[in-house]
Amino acid sequence: MVRNRFQKEMEELRKDVRKMAEHAKNGVETSVLSLKNQDVEMAESIFAREDESDILNLGIDDRGMKLTALQQPVARDLRFISTMMKVSDNYERVCDLTVKIAEITLKTAKKPLLKPLVDIPRMAQTIIEMIDINTMAIEKWKVDEIGVLNEKDDLIDALYDQVYRELLTFMIKDPRTIDDATHLLFVARYLERIGDIVAKTGARIHYMITGERIWIK
Amino acid sequence: MQEAKETSVKISVEGLNAWFNTNQVLKDISMDIAEKRITAIIGPSGCGKSTFVRCLNRMHEVVPKARVTGRVLLDGEDIYSADVDPVDIRRRVGMVFQKPNPFPTMSVYDNVAAGLRLMGVRDRARLDRVVKKSLEMSALWDEVKGELNKSGASLSGGQQQRLCIARALAVEPEVILMDEPCSALDPIATAKIEDLIAELKKDYTVIIVTHNMQQAARVSDYTAFFFLGELIEYEATRELFESPADKRTEDYITGRFG
Ligand SMILES: Nc1ncnc2c1ncn2[C@@H]1O[C@H](COP(=O)(O)OP(=O)(O)OP(=O)(O)O)[C@@H](O)[C@H]1O
Ligand SMILES: [Mg+2]
Repeated sequence: MVRNRFQKEMEELRKDVRKMAEHAKNGVETSVLSLKNQDVEMAESIFAREDESDILNLGIDDRGMKLTALQQPVARDLRFISTMMKVSDNYERVCDLTVKIAEITLKTAKKPLLKPLVDIPRMAQTIIEMIDINTMAIEKWKVDEIGVLNEKDDLIDALYDQVYRELLTFMIKDPRTIDDATHLLFVARYLERIGDIVAKTGARIHYMITGERIWIK
Repeated sequence: MQEAKETSVKISVEGLNAWFNTNQVLKDISMDIAEKRITAIIGPSGCGKSTFVRCLNRMHEVVPKARVTGRVLLDGEDIYSADVDPVDIRRRVGMVFQKPNPFPTMSVYDNVAAGLRLMGVRDRARLDRVVKKSLEMSALWDEVKGELNKSGASLSGGQQQRLCIARALAVEPEVILMDEPCSALDPIATAKIEDLIAELKKDYTVIIVTHNMQQAARVSDYTAFFFLGELIEYEATRELFESPADKRTEDYITGRFG
């Protein structure tokens, strides 16, 4: 096998993107847990994580640009490098959204939650499974599980609708709940957007592996 | 996969085999080459690229004990059928080689005019016209117009190669075969030839052999990958470099072997 150094550098890139995936996963998990447990310290840990993922993402972008410029990759190498940059960017956007969730934890931690959280943690759990599917596809260079992303994304959308309707009834019944309900609604909205981003990331990974574009939603 | 899309076919190769003595170097090659498009031939050293393009203008048989079977249809007519004159084919299908090879004792003008004179053209005004037009098309005119009488060998390597292209164009071929035309040139001279190749496709069908994958990617519309005398993959260039279908193509273009 020739171009060993190039192979090694691509391997490094893959490892960094795997770290980005971990950041995104932990961000989703921790931010929603901080909200559920009204844990301010836990919410604050999200901000530090955001900085780390920002730096990591910049590093991945820089490395990808360098490899593109110097190695002039084609075929699977080109698809791999460009996809790693894209996946990393997407997970960075996920991390940004988890910061917004953590901010809501800070705003709502002082008084009891409007209602115990059930569907919102389920949304978070589903997102985590989706990120794992993406990571496994990259590691194994296999697309088998990517199709499942569509179903999971549909589930997230359904959960979002459910949360929306439930919060609406609170607000109609008692306008004093509007503030708190809106906060939770925003959280659900952020998670719904994260679901979209992660599903689209899966579509890009599918292209990386097969060379064929697929449409996820 | 084997046919060129969207344009008419200029050359249709059908079941082409070629030998040097008993050594078979091309095996059952079939492909259609699109008219007024640029087709690149890539593949590791010794895979038969040069042999292939030389079969397209009956240059292969010039080598003693070299043999060809199969058909090569130029505008639908088999160039290997008995009543075809190879000299006529070589005029219609011109060739530019790896090393610039201007006739060393001839001036710039005479180099370009040589082919026409061989065909018996004596009319000075016509020769002047063709020389100017060919040098313009090969993007050399501005650099040599004041000194058409100086020796072709005194030009720089890149200029010599453009002179050879002008010489090939002067006899008004329909197809131009280029066998690694830039391998002896620096990046600037290479860029000029690449621009020129892109211009040429307005009027000509161009087939270019290159070892430089980026060059194939930059200039060609279609790319064919040859390996061990076989045509492995032949596709639109972007497709081949973005998502090749065959593992061997992928391994070769990504530098995993070759
Ligand atoms: N004149 C010749 N006599 C005998 N064998 C030859 C001759 N020219 C080429 N060959 C053999 O034919 C095979 C194909 O050669 P060809 O020159 O077509 O390869 P190529 O793809 O153009 O290689 P390169 O990239 O090195 O130019 C090789 O195995 C070569 O050794
Ligand atoms: Mg050759």
